[in-house]
Amino acid sequence: MNVAAGGVWQKNPSLAWREIDDETVIISPGESVMHELNDTGSFVWKNIDGQRKAEDLAALLVEQYEVTLETALADTLSLLEELSRRKLLLPAEGGAAR
Amino acid sequence: MSSAVQIAATPLMDRLIARTVRKRRPLSVHFDLTYRCNERCVHCYLDHEDHGELTTSECINALEQLARAGALFLTFSGGEIFLRKDLEEILTVARRLQFDISLKTNALLVTPERARMLHRLGVRRVQISVYSNEAAVHDAITKVRGSLQRSLAAIPLLQEQGILVKLACPLMKQNLMAYRGVMALAEQLGVPYVLDMTITPMMDGSQEPLEHRVSSEALLPILQDTALQSCGTKALPGAGESLPNFLQNFSPTLGSSVSSGIESNAYEDLPCSAGHNSCYVSPYGDIYACVQLPMPAGNLREESFEHIWENAPALERIRSVRESQLPVCSRCEIRSYCERCPGLAWMEGGDLLGAYERACSLAEQKARIAGAVNPKSAWRSETPESGMSRACPVPASGDSAVRN
Repeated sequence: MNVAAGGVWQKNPSLAWREIDDETVIISPGESVMHELNDTGSFVWKNIDGQRKAEDLAALLVEQYEVTLETALADTLSLLEELSRRKLLLPAEGGAAR
Repeated sequence: MSSAVQIAATPLMDRLIARTVRKRRPLSVHFDLTYRCNERCVHCYLDHEDHGELTTSECINALEQLARAGALFLTFSGGEIFLRKDLEEILTVARRLQFDISLKTNALLVTPERARMLHRLGVRRVQISVYSNEAAVHDAITKVRGSLQRSLAAIPLLQEQGILVKLACPLMKQNLMAYRGVMALAEQLGVPYVLDMTITPMMDGSQEPLEHRVSSEALLPILQDTALQSCGTKALPGAGESLPNFLQNFSPTLGSSVSSGIESNAYEDLPCSAGHNSCYVSPYGDIYACVQLPMPAGNLREESFEHIWENAPALERIRSVRESQLPVCSRCEIRSYCERCPGLAWMEGGDLLGAYERACSLAEQKARIAGAVNPKSAWRSETPESGMSRACPVPASGDSAVRN
Protein backbone atom coordinates (compact mmCIF):
# COMPACT_ATOMS: atom_id res chain seq x y z
CA MET A 1 0.00 0.00 0.00
CA ASN A 2 1.37 3.38 -0.94
CA VAL A 3 0.46 6.36 1.17
CA ALA A 4 0.49 9.67 -0.67
CA ALA A 5 1.93 12.82 0.85
CA GLY A 6 -1.29 14.64 0.05
CA GLY A 7 -3.52 12.02 1.72
CA VAL A 8 -5.64 12.83 4.75
CA TRP A 9 -6.16 10.34 7.56
CA GLN A 10 -8.17 10.03 10.70
CA LYS A 11 -7.78 7.80 13.75
CA ASN A 12 -9.98 4.73 13.73
CA PRO A 13 -12.78 5.79 16.08
CA SER A 14 -13.12 2.33 17.61
CA LEU A 15 -9.64 2.42 19.14
CA ALA A 16 -8.72 2.82 22.77
CA TRP A 17 -5.53 4.76 23.24
CA ARG A 18 -3.62 6.83 25.71
CA GLU A 19 -0.48 8.91 25.58
CA ILE A 20 1.53 8.09 28.67
CA ASP A 21 4.66 10.15 29.15
CA ASP A 22 5.38 10.78 25.47
CA GLU A 23 4.63 7.24 24.38
CA THR A 24 1.28 6.09 23.06
CA VAL A 25 -0.45 2.77 23.64
CA ILE A 26 -3.22 1.84 21.21
CA ILE A 27 -5.64 -1.06 21.47
CA SER A 28 -7.65 -2.47 18.61
CA PRO A 29 -10.78 -3.76 20.32
CA GLY A 30 -11.86 -6.11 17.56
CA GLU A 31 -8.62 -8.05 17.60
CA SER A 32 -7.61 -7.32 21.21
CA VAL A 33 -4.20 -6.30 19.99
CA MET A 34 -2.00 -3.67 21.59
CA HIS A 35 0.36 -1.35 19.71
CA GLU A 36 2.91 1.14 20.92
CA LEU A 37 4.30 4.35 19.45
CA ASN A 38 7.50 5.98 20.58
CA ASP A 39 7.77 9.72 21.23
CA THR A 40 7.98 10.85 17.60
CA GLY A 41 5.31 8.35 16.55
CA SER A 42 3.16 9.72 19.36
CA PHE A 43 3.78 13.26 18.15
CA VAL A 44 2.53 12.35 14.69
CA TRP A 45 -0.38 10.33 16.11
CA LYS A 46 -1.75 13.14 18.25
CA ASN A 47 -1.55 15.52 15.31
CA ILE A 48 -3.58 13.26 13.03
CA ASP A 49 -6.90 15.04 13.08
CA GLY A 50 -8.68 14.18 9.86
CA GLN A 51 -7.52 17.49 8.40
CA ARG A 52 -3.74 17.43 8.15
CA LYS A 53 -2.01 15.81 5.20
CA ALA A 54 1.19 13.79 5.52
CA GLU A 55 3.18 16.76 4.38
CA ASP A 56 1.57 18.91 7.11
CA LEU A 57 2.49 16.32 9.72
CA ALA A 58 6.05 16.22 8.40
CA ALA A 59 6.26 20.00 8.65
CA LEU A 60 5.21 19.79 12.30
CA LEU A 61 7.94 17.22 12.90
CA VAL A 62 10.50 19.58 11.41
CA GLU A 63 9.38 22.28 13.83
CA GLN A 64 9.57 19.95 16.80
CA TYR A 65 12.64 17.85 16.06
CA GLU A 66 15.98 18.48 14.41
CA VAL A 67 15.25 16.75 11.14
CA THR A 68 15.11 17.66 7.48
CA LEU A 69 11.77 17.89 5.72
CA GLU A 70 12.80 15.09 3.41
CA THR A 71 13.54 12.71 6.29
CA ALA A 72 10.47 13.79 8.20
CA LEU A 73 8.21 13.18 5.22
CA ALA A 74 9.72 9.78 4.51
CA ASP A 75 9.29 8.72 8.15
CA THR A 76 5.77 10.12 8.30
CA LEU A 77 4.70 8.27 5.17
CA SER A 78 6.23 5.09 6.51
CA LEU A 79 4.41 5.49 9.81
CA LEU A 80 1.09 6.29 8.16
CA GLU A 81 1.42 3.27 5.93
CA GLU A 82 2.11 1.01 8.92
CA LEU A 83 -0.73 2.46 10.96
CA SER A 84 -3.05 2.13 8.00
CA ARG A 85 -2.01 -1.48 7.45
CA ARG A 86 -2.87 -2.17 11.07
CA LYS A 87 -6.24 -0.45 10.60
CA LEU A 88 -5.40 2.14 13.22
CA LEU A 89 -5.94 4.85 10.66
CA LEU A 90 -8.73 5.29 8.16
CA PRO A 91 -8.97 7.61 5.19
CA ALA A 92 -10.57 10.83 6.35
CA GLU A 93 -14.08 11.38 5.16
CA GLY A 94 -13.98 13.63 2.13
CA GLY A 95 -10.19 13.44 2.04
CA ALA A 96 -8.14 11.51 -0.48
CA ALA A 97 -5.94 9.39 1.73
CA ARG A 98 -3.94 7.77 -0.94
CA MET B 1 14.64 10.25 14.34
CA SER B 2 12.54 7.16 14.25
CA SER B 3 8.77 7.32 14.28
CA ALA B 4 8.13 3.68 13.57
CA VAL B 5 5.62 1.56 15.41
CA GLN B 6 7.65 -0.49 17.82
CA ILE B 7 7.42 -4.16 18.54
CA ALA B 8 10.19 -4.66 21.05
CA ALA B 9 11.67 -7.91 22.26
CA THR B 10 10.41 -7.29 25.78
CA PRO B 11 6.70 -7.96 25.95
CA LEU B 12 4.95 -4.70 25.43
CA MET B 13 2.65 -5.08 28.40
CA ASP B 14 5.51 -5.78 30.78
CA ARG B 15 7.28 -2.64 29.64
CA LEU B 16 4.07 -0.66 29.94
CA ILE B 17 3.55 -1.96 33.46
CA ALA B 18 7.12 -1.19 34.47
CA ARG B 19 6.85 2.31 33.04
CA THR B 20 3.49 3.13 34.61
CA VAL B 21 4.64 1.82 37.99
CA ARG B 22 7.83 3.87 37.78
CA LYS B 23 5.94 6.98 36.68
CA ARG B 24 3.01 6.20 38.97
CA ARG B 25 0.25 6.26 36.34
CA PRO B 26 -3.14 4.66 37.08
CA LEU B 27 -3.13 2.47 33.98
CA SER B 28 -6.06 0.30 35.09
CA VAL B 29 -9.15 1.46 36.95
CA HIS B 30 -12.03 -0.53 38.39
CA PHE B 31 -15.08 1.75 38.65
CA ASP B 32 -18.16 0.42 40.45
CA LEU B 33 -21.08 2.47 39.18
CA THR B 34 -23.57 1.13 41.72
CA TYR B 35 -23.86 -1.37 44.55
CA ARG B 36 -27.54 -1.92 43.72
CA CYS B 37 -28.21 -5.32 42.26
CA ASN B 38 -31.03 -7.42 40.87
CA GLU B 39 -29.53 -10.58 42.34
CA ARG B 40 -28.86 -11.39 45.99
CA CYS B 41 -25.88 -13.70 45.81
CA VAL B 42 -25.28 -15.40 49.11
CA HIS B 43 -21.54 -14.66 49.17
CA CYS B 44 -21.67 -11.03 48.00
CA TYR B 45 -19.42 -8.53 49.79
CA LEU B 46 -21.68 -5.55 49.07
CA ASP B 47 -24.82 -4.16 50.57
CA HIS B 48 -27.28 -3.27 47.87
CA GLU B 49 -28.55 0.07 49.05
CA ASP B 50 -27.90 3.38 47.32
CA HIS B 51 -26.06 5.53 49.84
CA GLY B 52 -25.68 8.44 47.43
CA GLU B 53 -24.21 7.29 44.15
CA LEU B 54 -22.21 9.64 41.99
CA THR B 55 -24.51 11.50 39.63
CA THR B 56 -24.09 11.25 35.89
CA SER B 57 -22.12 14.47 35.75
CA GLU B 58 -19.96 13.38 38.68
CA CYS B 59 -19.22 10.09 36.90
CA ILE B 60 -18.31 11.97 33.73
CA ASN B 61 -16.09 14.33 35.69
CA ALA B 62 -14.39 11.35 37.30
CA LEU B 63 -13.79 9.74 33.90
CA GLU B 64 -12.27 12.94 32.55
CA GLN B 65 -9.92 13.12 35.52
CA LEU B 66 -8.95 9.47 35.13
CA ALA B 67 -8.22 9.92 31.43
CA ARG B 68 -6.03 12.95 32.18
CA ALA B 69 -4.15 10.92 34.77
CA GLY B 70 -3.32 8.29 32.13
CA ALA B 71 -5.88 5.57 32.84
CA LEU B 72 -6.43 3.35 29.80
CA PHE B 73 -7.99 0.08 30.97
CA LEU B 74 -11.38 0.79 32.52
CA THR B 75 -13.66 -1.81 34.06
CA PHE B 76 -17.20 -0.84 34.98
CA SER B 77 -18.73 -3.09 37.57
CA GLY B 78 -21.13 -3.14 40.50
CA GLY B 79 -23.64 -4.17 41.83
CA GLU B 80 -25.38 -4.57 38.53
CA ILE B 81 -24.30 -1.85 36.12
CA PHE B 82 -27.40 -2.09 33.94
CA LEU B 83 -29.42 -0.75 36.87
CA ARG B 84 -27.77 2.62 36.17
CA LYS B 85 -30.24 4.35 33.87
CA ASP B 86 -27.41 6.56 32.62
CA LEU B 87 -25.12 3.66 31.69
CA GLU B 88 -25.27 4.46 27.98
CA GLU B 89 -24.41 8.09 28.66
CA ILE B 90 -21.47 7.10 30.85
CA LEU B 91 -20.22 4.60 28.27
CA THR B 92 -20.55 7.23 25.55
CA VAL B 93 -18.22 9.51 27.49
CA ALA B 94 -15.82 6.64 28.21
CA ARG B 95 -15.69 5.96 24.47
CA ARG B 96 -15.09 9.63 23.69
CA LEU B 97 -12.21 9.56 26.17
CA GLN B 98 -10.73 6.54 24.35
CA PHE B 99 -10.73 4.11 27.30
CA ASP B 100 -10.40 0.39 26.73
CA ILE B 101 -13.72 -0.63 28.26
CA SER B 102 -14.65 -3.87 30.02
CA LEU B 103 -17.82 -4.64 31.95
CA LYS B 104 -18.70 -7.02 34.76
CA THR B 105 -22.36 -7.93 34.94
CA ASN B 106 -24.80 -10.72 35.66
CA ALA B 107 -26.21 -9.98 32.17
CA LEU B 108 -29.84 -10.40 33.25
CA LEU B 109 -30.71 -7.11 31.58
CA VAL B 110 -28.76 -7.59 28.35
CA THR B 111 -31.07 -7.34 25.36
CA PRO B 112 -30.24 -7.36 21.64
CA GLU B 113 -30.54 -3.55 21.66
CA ARG B 114 -28.21 -3.20 24.62
CA ALA B 115 -25.70 -5.62 23.07
CA ARG B 116 -25.65 -3.46 19.95
CA MET B 117 -25.21 -0.38 22.12
CA LEU B 118 -22.22 -1.94 23.86
CA HIS B 119 -20.63 -2.74 20.51
CA ARG B 120 -21.33 0.74 19.19
CA LEU B 121 -19.66 2.26 22.25
CA GLY B 122 -16.57 0.11 21.92
CA VAL B 123 -16.99 -2.20 24.90
CA ARG B 124 -14.33 -4.82 24.28
CA ARG B 125 -15.08 -7.43 26.91
CA VAL B 126 -17.90 -8.48 29.22
CA GLN B 127 -17.41 -10.74 32.23
CA ILE B 128 -20.52 -12.60 33.34
CA SER B 129 -20.94 -14.33 36.69
CA VAL B 130 -21.98 -17.97 36.30
CA TYR B 131 -21.94 -20.23 39.33
CA SER B 132 -22.91 -23.52 37.74
CA ASN B 133 -24.18 -25.05 34.54
CA GLU B 134 -27.14 -26.30 36.58
CA ALA B 135 -29.94 -23.82 37.10
CA ALA B 136 -30.85 -25.16 40.51
CA VAL B 137 -27.34 -24.51 41.84
CA HIS B 138 -26.82 -21.16 40.13
CA ASP B 139 -30.27 -19.80 40.97
CA ALA B 140 -29.95 -20.88 44.60
CA ILE B 141 -26.82 -18.71 44.91
CA THR B 142 -28.26 -15.67 43.11
CA LYS B 143 -31.67 -16.14 44.74
CA VAL B 144 -33.29 -15.28 41.42
CA ARG B 145 -35.23 -18.04 39.71
CA GLY B 146 -34.37 -18.31 36.02
CA SER B 147 -31.21 -16.25 36.40
CA LEU B 148 -28.87 -18.82 34.85
CA GLN B 149 -31.03 -19.10 31.77
CA ARG B 150 -31.15 -15.32 31.40
CA SER B 151 -27.40 -14.87 31.96
CA LEU B 152 -26.58 -17.52 29.38
CA ALA B 153 -29.05 -16.08 26.88
CA ALA B 154 -27.03 -12.88 26.85
CA ILE B 155 -23.83 -14.57 25.72
CA PRO B 156 -24.70 -15.11 22.04
CA LEU B 157 -26.17 -11.61 21.88
CA LEU B 158 -22.81 -10.20 22.93
CA GLN B 159 -20.79 -12.58 20.79
CA GLU B 160 -22.83 -11.62 17.73
CA GLN B 161 -21.59 -8.08 18.30
CA GLY B 162 -17.96 -9.21 18.41
CA ILE B 163 -17.66 -8.59 22.15
CA LEU B 164 -15.39 -10.93 24.10
CA VAL B 165 -17.30 -12.78 26.80
CA LYS B 166 -15.73 -14.38 29.84
CA LEU B 167 -17.38 -16.44 32.53
CA ALA B 168 -16.47 -15.81 36.16
CA CYS B 169 -17.28 -18.48 38.70
CA PRO B 170 -16.60 -17.76 42.36
CA LEU B 171 -16.40 -21.10 44.13
CA MET B 172 -18.08 -21.64 47.47
CA LYS B 173 -19.66 -24.44 49.44
CA GLN B 174 -22.84 -24.28 47.36
CA ASN B 175 -21.15 -24.83 43.98
CA LEU B 176 -17.71 -26.27 44.65
CA MET B 177 -18.03 -29.32 42.48
CA ALA B 178 -19.88 -27.42 39.75
CA TYR B 179 -16.58 -26.12 38.41
CA ARG B 180 -16.26 -28.94 35.89
CA GLY B 181 -19.69 -28.08 34.57
CA VAL B 182 -18.71 -24.43 34.22
CA MET B 183 -15.55 -25.46 32.39
CA ALA B 184 -17.59 -27.60 30.01
CA LEU B 185 -20.10 -24.81 29.54
CA ALA B 186 -17.32 -22.36 28.71
CA GLU B 187 -15.84 -24.75 26.18
CA GLN B 188 -19.24 -25.30 24.63
CA LEU B 189 -19.78 -21.56 24.33
CA GLY B 190 -16.23 -20.93 23.15
CA VAL B 191 -15.48 -18.46 25.90
CA PRO B 192 -12.75 -18.21 28.54
CA TYR B 193 -13.53 -18.53 32.21
CA VAL B 194 -12.05 -17.91 35.62
CA LEU B 195 -12.65 -19.95 38.75
CA ASP B 196 -12.23 -17.78 41.82
CA MET B 197 -11.59 -19.34 45.21
CA THR B 198 -11.72 -15.96 46.95
CA ILE B 199 -14.69 -15.16 49.12
CA THR B 200 -14.09 -11.90 50.97
CA PRO B 201 -15.62 -10.16 53.97
CA MET B 202 -18.23 -7.52 53.21
CA MET B 203 -17.20 -3.95 52.45
CA ASP B 204 -18.39 -2.94 55.92
CA GLY B 205 -16.10 -5.53 57.49
CA SER B 206 -18.81 -8.08 58.21
CA GLN B 207 -17.48 -11.64 58.05
CA GLU B 208 -20.85 -13.09 57.04
CA PRO B 209 -19.88 -14.14 53.48
CA LEU B 210 -17.01 -16.21 54.86
CA GLU B 211 -19.42 -18.86 56.08
CA HIS B 212 -19.81 -19.83 52.43
CA ARG B 213 -16.06 -20.18 51.89
CA VAL B 214 -14.72 -23.64 51.16
CA SER B 215 -11.91 -24.91 53.38
CA SER B 216 -8.50 -25.20 51.78
CA GLU B 217 -8.66 -28.97 52.32
CA ALA B 218 -11.90 -29.18 50.37
CA LEU B 219 -10.26 -27.30 47.51
CA LEU B 220 -7.70 -30.05 47.00
CA PRO B 221 -9.52 -31.73 44.10
CA ILE B 222 -9.51 -28.42 42.25
CA LEU B 223 -5.92 -27.56 43.05
CA GLN B 224 -4.95 -31.01 41.79
CA ASP B 225 -7.08 -30.91 38.65
CA THR B 226 -4.67 -31.02 35.74
CA ALA B 227 -7.35 -29.76 33.37
CA LEU B 228 -7.04 -26.38 35.07
CA GLN B 229 -3.36 -26.14 34.28
CA SER B 230 -3.54 -27.13 30.62
CA CYS B 231 -5.37 -24.24 29.01
CA GLY B 232 -2.98 -22.06 27.01
CA THR B 233 -3.27 -18.55 25.67
CA LYS B 234 -4.45 -18.43 22.11
CA ALA B 235 -2.56 -15.91 20.04
CA LEU B 236 -4.82 -13.80 17.93
CA PRO B 237 -3.85 -12.89 14.39
CA GLY B 238 -2.73 -9.44 13.42
CA ALA B 239 0.15 -7.09 13.92
CA GLY B 240 0.99 -5.77 17.34
CA GLU B 241 0.92 -7.73 20.54
CA SER B 242 -2.01 -9.82 21.69
CA LEU B 243 -3.25 -8.61 24.99
CA PRO B 244 -2.23 -10.66 27.98
CA ASN B 245 -4.35 -12.77 30.20
CA PHE B 246 -6.07 -10.14 32.22
CA LEU B 247 -7.35 -8.43 29.12
CA GLN B 248 -8.00 -11.33 26.85
CA ASN B 249 -8.29 -14.22 29.16
CA PHE B 250 -8.09 -17.40 27.24
CA SER B 251 -5.62 -18.61 29.78
CA PRO B 252 -6.08 -18.22 33.51
CA THR B 253 -8.57 -20.61 34.91
CA LEU B 254 -7.85 -19.92 38.56
CA GLY B 255 -7.70 -16.32 39.65
CA SER B 256 -9.63 -13.30 40.84
CA SER B 257 -12.98 -12.47 39.32
CA VAL B 258 -13.22 -9.30 41.37
CA SER B 259 -9.97 -7.40 41.09
CA SER B 260 -9.25 -5.57 37.86
CA GLY B 261 -5.58 -5.05 38.59
CA ILE B 262 -3.05 -6.15 36.04
CA GLU B 263 -1.30 -9.42 36.72
CA SER B 264 2.29 -9.60 35.58
CA ASN B 265 5.77 -10.58 36.64
CA ALA B 266 6.87 -7.02 35.92
CA TYR B 267 6.01 -5.90 39.45
CA GLU B 268 9.09 -7.69 40.77
CA ASP B 269 9.24 -6.90 44.51
CA LEU B 270 5.82 -5.25 44.66
CA PRO B 271 2.88 -7.34 45.90
CA CYS B 272 0.62 -6.37 42.98
CA SER B 273 -0.61 -3.46 40.92
CA ALA B 274 -2.83 -1.93 43.63
CA GLY B 275 -1.94 1.71 44.22
CA HIS B 276 1.00 1.52 41.83
CA ASN B 277 -0.70 1.52 38.46
CA SER B 278 -4.26 0.54 39.32
CA CYS B 279 -6.99 1.73 41.61
CA TYR B 280 -10.67 1.46 42.47
CA VAL B 281 -13.49 4.02 42.41
CA SER B 282 -16.61 3.30 44.45
CA PRO B 283 -20.14 4.41 43.44
CA TYR B 284 -19.78 7.16 46.04
CA GLY B 285 -16.51 8.52 44.71
CA ASP B 286 -14.24 6.85 47.24
CA ILE B 287 -10.79 6.00 45.92
CA TYR B 288 -9.11 2.81 47.09
CA ALA B 289 -5.99 1.06 45.85
CA CYS B 290 -8.15 -1.95 45.00
CA VAL B 291 -11.68 -3.19 45.62
CA GLN B 292 -10.05 -5.86 47.77
CA LEU B 293 -7.96 -3.28 49.62
CA PRO B 294 -10.56 -0.70 50.62
CA MET B 295 -8.33 1.48 52.75
CA PRO B 296 -9.87 4.94 52.16
CA ALA B 297 -7.55 7.21 50.21
CA GLY B 298 -9.93 10.08 49.49
CA ASN B 299 -13.21 11.02 47.88
CA LEU B 300 -13.78 12.64 44.50
CA ARG B 301 -16.49 14.85 45.94
CA GLU B 302 -13.91 16.47 48.19
CA GLU B 303 -10.64 16.32 46.28
CA SER B 304 -9.44 15.86 42.73
CA PHE B 305 -8.32 12.44 41.61
CA GLU B 306 -4.86 13.78 40.90
CA HIS B 307 -4.53 15.14 44.43
CA ILE B 308 -5.69 11.87 45.98
CA TRP B 309 -3.53 9.72 43.72
CA GLU B 310 -0.42 11.80 44.36
CA ASN B 311 -0.86 12.62 48.04
CA ALA B 312 -3.09 10.16 49.89
CA PRO B 313 -1.24 8.70 52.90
CA ALA B 314 -3.12 5.40 52.47
CA LEU B 315 -1.76 5.00 48.95
CA GLU B 316 1.73 5.98 50.05
CA ARG B 317 1.58 3.34 52.74
CA ILE B 318 0.46 0.67 50.28
CA ARG B 319 3.16 1.72 47.81
CA SER B 320 5.85 1.32 50.43
CA VAL B 321 5.23 -2.42 50.82
CA ARG B 322 7.91 -4.70 49.39
CA GLU B 323 7.55 -8.45 49.28
CA SER B 324 11.15 -8.94 50.38
CA GLN B 325 10.52 -6.92 53.53
CA LEU B 326 7.36 -8.59 54.78
CA PRO B 327 8.17 -9.42 58.40
CA VAL B 328 6.89 -13.00 58.35
CA CYS B 329 6.16 -13.95 54.76
CA SER B 330 9.61 -13.00 53.44
CA ARG B 331 11.05 -15.81 55.61
CA CYS B 332 8.46 -18.37 54.57
CA GLU B 333 9.86 -21.52 52.98
CA ILE B 334 6.73 -22.15 50.94
CA ARG B 335 6.39 -18.55 49.75
CA SER B 336 6.58 -19.62 46.10
CA TYR B 337 3.29 -21.48 46.51
CA CYS B 338 1.53 -18.55 48.11
CA GLU B 339 -0.77 -16.05 46.44
CA ARG B 340 -0.86 -13.62 49.30
CA CYS B 341 -3.08 -10.61 48.60
CA PRO B 342 -2.21 -7.46 50.57
CA GLY B 343 -5.87 -6.47 50.63
CA LEU B 344 -6.98 -9.74 52.13
CA ALA B 345 -4.06 -9.57 54.56
CA TRP B 346 -5.45 -6.26 55.72
CA MET B 347 -9.10 -7.26 55.72
CA GLU B 348 -8.70 -10.72 57.21
CA GLY B 349 -5.53 -10.40 59.25
CA GLY B 350 -5.70 -6.71 60.05
CA ASP B 351 -2.15 -6.11 58.87
CA LEU B 352 -1.11 -4.93 55.43
CA LEU B 353 2.29 -6.53 55.98
CA GLY B 354 1.11 -9.65 57.72
CA ALA B 355 0.28 -13.23 56.93
CA TYR B 356 -3.29 -14.47 57.00
CA GLU B 357 -4.67 -17.90 57.51
CA ARG B 358 -6.30 -18.46 54.16
CA ALA B 359 -3.20 -17.71 52.10
CA CYS B 360 -1.01 -19.78 54.41
CA SER B 361 -3.23 -22.82 54.36
CA LEU B 362 -3.69 -22.69 50.57
CA ALA B 363 0.08 -22.39 50.13
CA GLU B 364 0.53 -25.42 52.37
CA GLN B 365 -1.93 -27.39 50.27
CA LYS B 366 -0.17 -26.45 47.05
CA ALA B 367 3.24 -27.27 48.50
CA ARG B 368 1.90 -30.64 49.64
CA ILE B 369 0.57 -31.35 46.13
CA ALA B 370 4.00 -30.44 44.76
CA GLY B 371 5.59 -33.06 46.98
CA ALA B 372 6.70 -31.14 50.05
CA VAL B 373 6.58 -33.19 53.25
CA ASN B 374 4.47 -31.60 55.97
CA PRO B 375 4.87 -28.06 54.64
CA LYS B 376 4.34 -25.24 57.11
CA SER B 377 4.08 -21.56 56.43
CA ALA B 378 6.37 -19.26 58.39
CA TRP B 379 3.40 -17.96 60.32
CA ARG B 380 2.35 -21.42 61.42
CA SER B 381 5.94 -22.37 62.22
CA GLU B 382 6.42 -19.29 64.35
CA THR B 383 3.13 -19.53 66.24
CA PRO B 384 2.87 -23.23 67.03
CA GLU B 385 0.93 -22.73 70.21
CA SER B 386 -2.07 -21.27 68.44
CA GLY B 387 -1.67 -22.61 64.95
CA MET B 388 -3.57 -20.93 62.19
CA SER B 389 -6.80 -20.56 64.02
CA ARG B 390 -5.67 -17.80 66.32
CA ALA B 391 -7.37 -14.44 66.45
CA CYS B 392 -6.34 -11.76 63.97
CA PRO B 393 -3.33 -9.62 64.86
CA VAL B 394 -4.12 -6.18 66.19
CA PRO B 395 -4.11 -3.74 63.27
CA ALA B 396 -1.18 -1.36 63.07
CA SER B 397 -1.79 2.11 64.37
CA GLY B 398 -4.16 4.06 62.17
CA ASP B 399 -5.39 0.97 60.39
CA SER B 400 -8.79 -0.51 60.48
CA ALA B 401 -9.72 -3.81 58.98
CA VAL B 402 -13.28 -2.58 58.91
CA ARG B 403 -14.06 -0.91 55.64
CA ASN B 404 -16.39 1.97 55.40
